[in-house]
Amino acid sequence: MYNIELGLPDPDKVFDMIILGGGPAALGCAIYAARFSMDILVIGKVYGGLITTTHIVENYPGITSVSGTQLMEMFRDHINSLNIQYISDEIRSIEKVDNHFVLKSYFGKFKALTVLLATGSERKKLGILGEEEFTGRGVSYCATCDGPFFTDKILAVIGGSDSAAKEALFLAQHAKNVYIIYRREEIRAEPINKKRVYENKKIEIINNTNIVEIKGDERGVKSVIFDNGKEFEVDGVFIEIGSNPNSILAKRIGVERNNKGEIIINRKSETNIPGIYAAGDVANSPFKQAITGVSEGVIAAYAAFDYLKNISIEY
Amino acid sequence: MAKLTKPVKLKVFTSQKTEANGGKIRACMDCGQFMSLLRIYEQHSNGMLTIEELSIDNNPEFAKRYDIQRVPTILFIDDKDREVIRYLAAPQGAEIQPFIQAIFAFAGAPNYYEATIKQNLDRIKPSTIKVMITNSCPYCPQVVASSSLMAIASDGKIRTIIIDIMANQDIGQYYDAAGVPYTVVNDQKAISGMVGADVILRSLIGGNIRVQY
Repeated sequence: MYNIELGLPDPDKVFDMIILGGGPAALGCAIYAARFSMDILVIGKVYGGLITTTHIVENYPGITSVSGTQLMEMFRDHINSLNIQYISDEIRSIEKVDNHFVLKSYFGKFKALTVLLATGSERKKLGILGEEEFTGRGVSYCATCDGPFFTDKILAVIGGSDSAAKEALFLAQHAKNVYIIYRREEIRAEPINKKRVYENKKIEIINNTNIVEIKGDERGVKSVIFDNGKEFEVDGVFIEIGSNPNSILAKRIGVERNNKGEIIINRKSETNIPGIYAAGDVANSPFKQAITGVSEGVIAAYAAFDYLKNISIEY
Repeated sequence: MAKLTKPVKLKVFTSQKTEANGGKIRACMDCGQFMSLLRIYEQHSNGMLTIEELSIDNNPEFAKRYDIQRVPTILFIDDKDREVIRYLAAPQGAEIQPFIQAIFAFAGAPNYYEATIKQNLDRIKPSTIKVMITNSCPYCPQVVASSSLMAIASDGKIRTIIIDIMANQDIGQYYDAAGVPYTVVNDQKAISGMVGADVILRSLIGGNIRVQY
């Protein structure tokens, strides 16, 4: 089922809620808000969000195993069944005008009484020599996107998180060998994935090691340099060292953030600004998962529904 | 497809050889499955969608006219005979969404990017956007969608070419692309990774986007 209503909404229309984001938190909120009969619009930069880069999701209750892309296609069917309009765009400014918010992008201007910031996060970069130069030519932040280019090649995965372990497991399906290069003693993956990594004969862990440079030529990546000076030959480098919250927009409008840049929310997913909510990876939740993002989004929908009942609306 | 309100005709170039016994066989691996899907869309379009399958083997003059060197190739040609979108790919999985969106926008359905494209059209020279993708890439459909819709809104100034670089590895190698989405504007500026429509539009303009709401 596909949403083909692509046009620009009437710029004078005031939505009950505009949801910024395309991931589980945003779409979870949208589903509940629509069922509360709220007039909503979803504007996301990336449909599906970061979870679409996860090749296998095995901890979403009710679904034993699914790829991140498939999971978000199920979400798409759900939002389409509720006639929720989704626009692919990035909002660059929000301002409060009277009792509503005005949001602007390069392609449209929108008005809403409440806003959910579910703008997610983006992958951290190492900030080392060669990283930018070889991005798209052997340096990647997305195994599901780029793994198939490295069939029978030697790859490095940088990082020791559960996501890094899952990337290594996915890449091992294509590559000749995968080396997880991690700065600490032992990777921090969930036990089930850690066990899979240890049992996979194609995967080897190089611990207590950082990389300080990525080297290559006009054809792409050739090697990485360790912090002990050793040069290690690889054909590709997949960087999975965590992510930074996309909260610049929140900062511009005075939404309070913590020292990690995460938006501070309460148990009702409220921020310090009445009418603005946050959920998912951009919020200051200690454990960031699709299911927790959905939960925060759903709570935001209910909180906004409640808020709208109690404000006088004049515009 | 039943919601299409204006006719759309797509040209799909495949390789379909006629055997000695008169039977036909498609030589390209993806073509059979993809053509079956297109025929289903066609059947459900109340006559609004026409899929014209042309075998490069049986129609060399058409292949030459439209510069077809690979199969499958899908062409969106406007009523002024201008090529707007070229797929060097057989859209599958999540890539079907932007393909269908393009069909609808091509038929005149509302196009989200149209107002801004029109406002900046005088600053866009005739351009080609090449979007390199794979069918497993989760970010690619967004870039394909925005690039296709911008081409449709551009009154012939922008042509978008969508290239599956697993199926067309030589093109990927030519552009040194070992990651997707990989977008090349006018064969000059390469943009690696997921980017919004504003980034591509800025590349086309070579400056800031002019916008009036």
